[in-house]
Amino acid sequence: MLVEDKLVENEEAVYLRVENLSTKFFTSKGIVKAIDNLSFEIRKGEIFGLVGESGCGKSVTALSVMDLIQDPPGRITHGKIYIDNFNIIGDLDRLAKIDVRSETDVRIKRNKRMIKRHNEILSKIRGDKIAMIFQEPFLAMNPVMRIGEQISESILLHNRIDIANSIIRRENIDRGKSDSFIEYLETIKGTERALKEINVWTREYGVPDAELKIIELSRSALSINEKKEKMYELLLAEKRGVNLQAVFEEREYFKDREKLLELNMEMTGYEEKNDEVNARRVGEEIKELRRGMTGRNISFLLKQKLMKKQYERPFLQEARRRTLELLKLVNIAGAERVIDSYPHEMSGGMLQRAMIAMALASNPKMLIADEPTTALDVTTQAQILELIKNLNTVTDSAVLFITHDLAVIAEMCQRVGVMYAGNLVESAPVEIIFSNMKHPYTIGLMASVPRADKKRDKAMKLESIPGAVPNLISPPTGCRFHPRCKFKMDICSEKKPKLVEIEKDHKVACFLYSNEVEEN
Amino acid sequence: MDANVFAAKGGEKKRNPGLDNFITTMKLFVKTRIAFVGMIITLIYFLIALLDAVYPQYLGVTNLSSMLAFLHGQSVSASAQPIAPTTVGGWYYWLGTTEYNIPIFPSILASLKYDLGSSLLIVALGAATGVIIGTIAGYFGGLLDEIVMRITDIFFSIPFLVFAIAMAVILSRVLPSGSSIDVIIALTIIWWPIYARLSRGNALTIKSLKFVEAATASGSSRMRNVFVHVMPNVLSAVFVQFSLDLGSIVQIFAGLDFIGFHIGGVFFPELGNLLNIGQPYLAQPYLNLTTGQVLSSTIWWPIVIPGIFLLIFTVAINLMGDGLRDVLDPKLRR
Amino acid sequence: MELRYYIVRRLLVLIPTILGLTLLIFILMRSLPTTYLIAPYTAGAKTTAAKALDTATAIKLLGLNYPVPVQYLDYLNNLLHGNWGYMAAGGGYTGSVLTLIGLYLPNTAQLAIGATVLSIIVAIPLGTYIGARPNSVADQSGRIFSLFGYAMPAFWLALLLQIIFGAKSVGGAPWQIFPITGVYPESVLIHTPAWMANGTSYPTHIFILDALLNGDPSAAWGGFMHIVLPVLALTYGILAGILRFIRAGMVDAANQEYVKTARAKGVNEKLVIKRHVRRNALIPTITVMGLLFAGLLGGVVLIEKVFAYPGIGLLTVNSALPTLQIYGIAGTTLIFGLLLVSANLVVDIVYAFVDPRIRY
Repeated sequence: MLVEDKLVENEEAVYLRVENLSTKFFTSKGIVKAIDNLSFEIRKGEIFGLVGESGCGKSVTALSVMDLIQDPPGRITHGKIYIDNFNIIGDLDRLAKIDVRSETDVRIKRNKRMIKRHNEILSKIRGDKIAMIFQEPFLAMNPVMRIGEQISESILLHNRIDIANSIIRRENIDRGKSDSFIEYLETIKGTERALKEINVWTREYGVPDAELKIIELSRSALSINEKKEKMYELLLAEKRGVNLQAVFEEREYFKDREKLLELNMEMTGYEEKNDEVNARRVGEEIKELRRGMTGRNISFLLKQKLMKKQYERPFLQEARRRTLELLKLVNIAGAERVIDSYPHEMSGGMLQRAMIAMALASNPKMLIADEPTTALDVTTQAQILELIKNLNTVTDSAVLFITHDLAVIAEMCQRVGVMYAGNLVESAPVEIIFSNMKHPYTIGLMASVPRADKKRDKAMKLESIPGAVPNLISPPTGCRFHPRCKFKMDICSEKKPKLVEIEKDHKVACFLYSNEVEEN
Repeated sequence: MDANVFAAKGGEKKRNPGLDNFITTMKLFVKTRIAFVGMIITLIYFLIALLDAVYPQYLGVTNLSSMLAFLHGQSVSASAQPIAPTTVGGWYYWLGTTEYNIPIFPSILASLKYDLGSSLLIVALGAATGVIIGTIAGYFGGLLDEIVMRITDIFFSIPFLVFAIAMAVILSRVLPSGSSIDVIIALTIIWWPIYARLSRGNALTIKSLKFVEAATASGSSRMRNVFVHVMPNVLSAVFVQFSLDLGSIVQIFAGLDFIGFHIGGVFFPELGNLLNIGQPYLAQPYLNLTTGQVLSSTIWWPIVIPGIFLLIFTVAINLMGDGLRDVLDPKLRR
Repeated sequence: MELRYYIVRRLLVLIPTILGLTLLIFILMRSLPTTYLIAPYTAGAKTTAAKALDTATAIKLLGLNYPVPVQYLDYLNNLLHGNWGYMAAGGGYTGSVLTLIGLYLPNTAQLAIGATVLSIIVAIPLGTYIGARPNSVADQSGRIFSLFGYAMPAFWLALLLQIIFGAKSVGGAPWQIFPITGVYPESVLIHTPAWMANGTSYPTHIFILDALLNGDPSAAWGGFMHIVLPVLALTYGILAGILRFIRAGMVDAANQEYVKTARAKGVNEKLVIKRHVRRNALIPTITVMGLLFAGLLGGVVLIEKVFAYPGIGLLTVNSALPTLQIYGIAGTTLIFGLLLVSANLVVDIVYAFVDPRIRY
């Protein structure tokens, strides 16, 4: 697989940047230092693999990136996580003060208000900017909710304004817009491109079912004015006579909420930089907005509950339509039936696809896949991997692919990170990881995998790395791999090697290649 | 791959049946202070009951009518109204009296051995029968299992108390012996299905575990499997159920007495009986006998005080049972 | 599988259980010396129109000469035809057993409905609140509450309520206003209202309901006052049980993977609890309802005795003591059994309705 040379000069090309992330779990047996000073980045549209043995911290990393760590007993204690250039964890000290008196005696004082605000911001980001799929589809889906419901839930959480707009546009069709679109279509040569344009336009204007009719119309031999007439008629026929007032109200409500969230995010940003002046200003704006909202909110929420037919129905219908589209996108046959089925009625492969569909519901620019195929059989695994690769190409969303299976890494990923005991020990483009690995652990890992392509002497046996995965409550000093390392030097047990770039895009954390020490 | 993997690392003991486990269990149990307190209190109750059974003369009570005889020798005359707590001196009258000036405190102490003893007997017999039947049914399956299930189904379709009343009242006319044994037998018959179901369920799960297969493969006969391999693993759940049931049975036993079974006679020292003879006084105001002044709108202590002793016992035993359950449940062994 | 097929299947399974129940009762009945079976007939317990029978005729009538299996079938036949035997316990407890059951059942229904409704209304929000905050102060209080609920003998609680809140003959605090016996308010006892005497406007025979239906709010209120204390006594036990289960269910459900998925989708905490955790937590709770209903029915017996409340619980007690009325016992045991079995059926159906995995 060719390594695409993505230039990283421009910061904008990075979607996820993790800086010095530390996550700890405070248990009765001690503090588990699950992730220690982890840093890596994932570029837009790339598939990045995170590989390592069981217990090395891959899943904890994934959960930390979405800040899904269960508190108690765990917490992100240090670091920054930039998603689309916004640090989602903000100022950790403001959220909670951790007082470590001993390994087993830790007092945590949580600031409830800040945490609440923090969680609100996160709710906006999760599912919308970054989504996650899990290992066991049967455990990860709610067993008593239908598939369609669960997917629609995701759609409705993040796309209400969008849906409201398209409903409004549908009901208030603008002759001018319809005319100019038909004119525009005339200029497009080639059915494929035309279809794409129609696809986008119909969804924006809330008339997706008219897609085929429009393509027919535009390819027909009628005159331009006739086409305009017919187009307008078509659009009129699509109207469903919903209560526009209700939809307006709903849109205003969600717009307010969105605005509030944006302000909160802004404020968090200022607080982080300790910019008191701006933070206070934004705080005032928030108060203003809240004041204005309260009255409107209550009446709207009441109406929404009581007059479901008018307030919720159009949204549910649209969500259902989108759900069907998503199910088809992930190649689920019989989407009509699946949408009303329960998880236990489906096979593992299908359910995993449904989970992928659910993750993609709001078009996130990054997907985290935590061992998505480990629980599936081999043929299904291949299908799912194929699907993920395709989706990555089509939607141009990045993928953080977590696995312990090197074969999958080779198949799927463009860049790879190798983790050991909570540290990132090496990261490089996939080819280099397999052919020119540097870190002793990576070398050991590769050597312990049976491979059909390498020639082996009869004398060569499968090597395993001696020793066992360390206890993360009291990990080894210095480099965490040193007790098992063939190339151990004195410094390895005293100091921790820093992750440095030894050649283009290839980083290693080992004293064999650099003298740089990690500062705490 | 969730965080629990990390929390569990670092020397969590593997579950081995046997002495090791038992000691750990006990240690953990003591750590849960509240459950420990519950156990202490329960033990105190049993101790009193035991002492009284062995040395009844200290309380001077074998039944309340003998107590009446005893009282006639006392200086306090049988007044028309129960005596309030702490109004008359001497430990006998510390908690007041009830009908016929029967002193409450000694009666309660005397009743413990009957209440606790009978309950213990009932639950023990019920558990023993139920566990054996249930484990065998669960292990062997098939028709035997079906029959046992149907029978327990039928037993469960009648509310306990109603069944107990029916059973007890019929047995008392059918069996020639005294009425207290009838109630005990009746309650045992009603109680074993619980244990049968419990052990059957556990037996089903356990029999499909690998180590039972292994035992059979190395030549263990089926019956041997049942007793040596399956049953011990069923026992921890049974243990918990047992301690909780003690609390429930004491209540039912007292309840039956209260309704009017009068096990052993109307004045037999038993908590339910005490409550029964105390009930009429609820509606009666407490008067100063010389002036006729109303001191309190009800005479509450014949009801409240025996009840409190019963409550303390059931609370203690529930705490103990809860603690046992928490300790024996491997999921909670953090 | 569709819900309908599941319901039909459950109904079919019901039949052997009910038959087994009747068999059990029959065995208990026939194990008694026959004098008990004959007594109500020879003593003239039938309605005044008929006269007492002599022993021989009674034996023939009851078919006691036939072999036992035939007697069982005869017994079933009688049950189906409404001939549930007679009892003579004095007072309002003399006459046809079925009629007496019909007379007293509505009163017990009043209590049962009140207790069930109250428990559910309180348990669900309270349980959700506590379950979402494990190990908090609310949780600890909830645990103590539940503990006492299990430990408190129901009849003692009833007595306690009588002492604390019951109306006293003399003196009495301002909150001691609730009557401690009976089901009808004094006004009704003195002068039966028109709608009660007249059969058609007294449809359900549940006093409070009918009073309201007939536009007699003061009678309804009086009736209500009479059930407050018994219902409270009953509710406490049920509430304690349900609360425990909801809490455990919530904690269990909250630890499931799909909750993590929901959070990963961006669902906010409150909605996660309400939509994902609670729905799954309530499922095991429903199974407990069946068990608790059994406790309810059992508790009813004791509580009706304490409050001298004329329901089928009191009927049961009066059939047992001081003299044994075998048909009364048989009848009430059967009725309790049928009630419990129906309740379990309803619970199973609701369960299948709520948890789609069960329907296979």
